[in-house]
Amino acid sequence: MTAALRGLAGGLILLLGWEAAVRLFAIPPWILPAPSGILATTWTARAGLLPAAGMTLAEATGGYAIGAVLGILLAILLSQAAMLRRVLLPVVVIINSVPVAAYAPLALLWFGTGATSKVIMVAFIVGFTVFLNALDGLTRVDPAGIALLRSFGAGRLSILWRLRLPSALPAIAVGLRVSTVRAMIVAIVTEMLGSQLGLGWTIFEAVLQIDFLRVWAAILVASVMSLAFFGAITLLERRVVFWK
Amino acid sequence: MTEAAGLLDPHLTVGTAPAGREKLGLRGVSRHFGAVHALDRIDASIPEGAFVTLIGPSGCGKSTLFNILAGLLEPDPGGSVALDGMVVPPGGLLGRVAFMPQRDLLLPWRSVLDNAILAAEVQGQPKKEARALAREMARDFGLAGFEDHFPQQLSGGMRQRVALMRTFLFDRDVMLLDEPFGALDALTRSLMQRWLLDIWSRYRRTIVFITHDIDEAIFLADRVLVMGARPGRIRMDRAIDLPRPRAAALITAPEFTAIKRELLEVLEEESLKTFQAGQR
Repeated sequence: MTAALRGLAGGLILLLGWEAAVRLFAIPPWILPAPSGILATTWTARAGLLPAAGMTLAEATGGYAIGAVLGILLAILLSQAAMLRRVLLPVVVIINSVPVAAYAPLALLWFGTGATSKVIMVAFIVGFTVFLNALDGLTRVDPAGIALLRSFGAGRLSILWRLRLPSALPAIAVGLRVSTVRAMIVAIVTEMLGSQLGLGWTIFEAVLQIDFLRVWAAILVASVMSLAFFGAITLLERRVVFWK
Repeated sequence: MTEAAGLLDPHLTVGTAPAGREKLGLRGVSRHFGAVHALDRIDASIPEGAFVTLIGPSGCGKSTLFNILAGLLEPDPGGSVALDGMVVPPGGLLGRVAFMPQRDLLLPWRSVLDNAILAAEVQGQPKKEARALAREMARDFGLAGFEDHFPQQLSGGMRQRVALMRTFLFDRDVMLLDEPFGALDALTRSLMQRWLLDIWSRYRRTIVFITHDIDEAIFLADRVLVMGARPGRIRMDRAIDLPRPRAAALITAPEFTAIKRELLEVLEEESLKTFQAGQR
């Protein structure tokens, strides 16, 4: 709680400093608008920003859910097949190390400029992140613990359920946590490259119209949403992985 | 410390060990790991209900032997392990002996009670039933009032008792305990030893107990097996006929020290071999 308060205080100081600097040095708004101006524009432009934000949030969370489930399932499957894992893992790491934005035009080409391409891009990125984290957690289990369960007569499934999965939960949670921000980034970047609705599109469009206050307003909304998403998953993590 | 002291029955109820039929038999058990010869033709017969301790210099293959007895490792071809007079096929010991490894290996996401019933649960016993049994047993194990705590909230001695309770709740005739008190301070350890003897007398199991502490080996046992330097083999099989119940002061008694001297001679010789092998 005190950490949250300190963060809030820090943010407030930053905003006040920003506001003061803009006013003091008379910085033109197309270089850097004052926070008060951004807030005012966010309010006046809310009729356009709200549906855009709703779209981006739906794409990001929808893709996130799909990617998380697929990533965890795939990790569980590969954790049980050592040979296949050794063959596939290097390929996965290579695909994952290419920057996301590089794939975005392909997704638009294949799945159109609607929400589908964004959901697929987000699911792709989140899936890889969660998959790699989960697989690491599932395969890095204390061998002594496995031996103990085997001595109790436990089979593969029993060991998976009673030991591997719970041991992997902290690693899975980390993957899920860092994925929240990535999901928002990927949704917005893909929107910028081609869409009809969404915060990314709003930013792109506003830049073309040289409406920098609206750009900043969209960035503000995206940041707040991203922060809330991250916070929600972090809270969930603390509840589920209570022993860490 | 005091928590463990409260557990001790002032009138220890331990009777004499029965000289029963063979529970666990080792016949010519050897084991190689590549070029390393870990165990060399081990023969031993452990009677039903006996408390047998296994002592030897570090690296003598005690843990390898235990892993074989737990069914986690197979002996080299030619050797065999017999349970109740029947030679056990490969993997056949898994799920048939209660094994307690050196570290407590409690699962941090499970409460004390749920850790204790882990083996029973794996064996398919309904959780509710197992929990009820564990709840009753918690008092004997000095865990009353801590059933719903998590392992990370407990002291080292208590964690070890949870692990022991898990081993006892895994209702098998043979228990393998690998240095269960190795990480405890001397006083707690001494209390836990007497407590274990008390529990053993109440639940009557065959116990094989690894230790590297001579006092502990003699104090607990009906029989002490001394293992030699690598390749591990049984160098001495000494019956301990000290009367039970045994009190803490026993370790200063002349009979006790006489046995200790005898064991020390063999152990020193074996430790020296390991030491010199390391210098070569």
